[in-house]
Amino acid sequence: MNKSIFTAILLTAGSLSQGYGGESDFQNFIRQVQLPSDGTEGTVWNVTVESSGEELSPLPINPNGARFELHTVKSNPLTGYLLDTKYVSSTVPVAVVQIRTEDPYETVPRTRADRPFNVEISVDGLVSGPDDPEALKKVKLLHHVQSFGEGGDGSNLNRTQATLLGQGFIDSNGDQVLQYLVNSVAGADRSKVRGEERFSVFSLEHPEVDVPESQLDSATVQIWPVADGTISGIAQGQLIDYQVPDVTIAVNDIYPNAQIYAQVYEGNQSLGTEGTVVSGSALIIEESVPQNRVLVVEDWDDVIPKDGVWTIELLTATPFGIDRLDWVTFNVDRVITVNGSVTTTE
Amino acid sequence: MKRTIHGASVGVALALTAIANAEPGAKKSVFRDAETHDMIVKKLKATQNLDPIKKMQPSEGEDPSKKNIPKDLISSSDVISFNGVTTLVPKRAIMQVPENYKARLNNHTPGNKVIGWLDFFRLNRGWITTVEVTRAQAEGKEPLAEGVSEHLSKSQNLIVASYLTGPISMLPQKEKEEKETAEAKP
Repeated sequence: MNKSIFTAILLTAGSLSQGYGGESDFQNFIRQVQLPSDGTEGTVWNVTVESSGEELSPLPINPNGARFELHTVKSNPLTGYLLDTKYVSSTVPVAVVQIRTEDPYETVPRTRADRPFNVEISVDGLVSGPDDPEALKKVKLLHHVQSFGEGGDGSNLNRTQATLLGQGFIDSNGDQVLQYLVNSVAGADRSKVRGEERFSVFSLEHPEVDVPESQLDSATVQIWPVADGTISGIAQGQLIDYQVPDVTIAVNDIYPNAQIYAQVYEGNQSLGTEGTVVSGSALIIEESVPQNRVLVVEDWDDVIPKDGVWTIELLTATPFGIDRLDWVTFNVDRVITVNGSVTTTE
Repeated sequence: MKRTIHGASVGVALALTAIANAEPGAKKSVFRDAETHDMIVKKLKATQNLDPIKKMQPSEGEDPSKKNIPKDLISSSDVISFNGVTTLVPKRAIMQVPENYKARLNNHTPGNKVIGWLDFFRLNRGWITTVEVTRAQAEGKEPLAEGVSEHLSKSQNLIVASYLTGPISMLPQKEKEEKETAEAKP
């Protein structure tokens, strides 16, 4: 029996082009590849869609199913990237995988090397009858990790080289949430790993209809390093008796959506103290990959109205909270003492 | 009902719950010193010990993501380029290429911008014609309607098969293919 299925196609064009480092040089293509029951080549249809949104596929799916492929093509040099695939059929189960992080960025799930994330998996269509095919009684969950390498941003990543970290069967319909305290991307310094973790659900091989294990859904989370930074030009305990020195703020691996700034407050360093933002030290970053910045801050006397012990802190505000990257406590004593005497002569 | 498989101890449950309850754009005012390698290693060990997948029925075998990988889009497409823009259609979607347009096929000019099929077709209707086909025709189960083939053969344009405006590959006609196979047999 030829069963028609209309399948919803979800496009996230913006995210995908952004994931490859630019937006204007990429064009996305969606393909529906029919899988005939006799194992021969199937028709290939390029779906005409808007750059984002949802619509139903009007091309009925073969009994053996169809594979939806999301590709993006870079114009120069002409290069194709396979971004995602979904196998859909009237007989295999349906799976939806989503990753939630603390970062509300909608384009692609992303988080930082020290932060947790959740994987939400929904499976439907599994059967459990004694006469039902074994291939339809469970699906396979795979967990892959892949490092972008030092300084890498995921461009030109060969995802067939990802490491399979774990796999297991899901044998019941319903929703479940897998919670991960932190990522597992390889790296000698855990605060500096950058890479991605992919969770994918595959159908099992179905010998009766000659369909191999096929991806039902997958989701990927980007992992970006924890920022580090320094304040230089002023030393711990330094006595300032005239004008504050110029200070240099250097920050590495600023989270893609973050602010950096220096603040000053009276007293010894105390985490969580709100001070006065130093003019010329604030920077807002809205990028798709981490950034490095160096700023020189001059003439910041105005934030130190009186003598005493003061602290300057370098902070970064991210979707995860405010992190202190460095601090320096110093002393200010601007009282001018004149040593001298007054004499008269007659 | 949603099941939750915890990969973390009670000490970290708050952070994980925060994800579940997070409102997009919610402001946080947590101050902390940036976490170091040693601090994150402790979390990693906890994650490894309580990996939720380890609690599932174990699965073995080859990594299916490395088998049956879909074909590369570029090599499985015909690339049409003209006047600074390029698009891709599936192989076998182009039904006819007049001699004077052959240079526009699979000859992507560096600097050209790749655009979607509909945009490309809008710009190039003067020399590209589409033929809407049915699913059965695309699968080679039915021939093209009478007169269409004759009409196409007289056209001076590059002709692309389309299904609901999207380019579609045309498989060889099954009857014709079977007949040719039978004739080839001694």
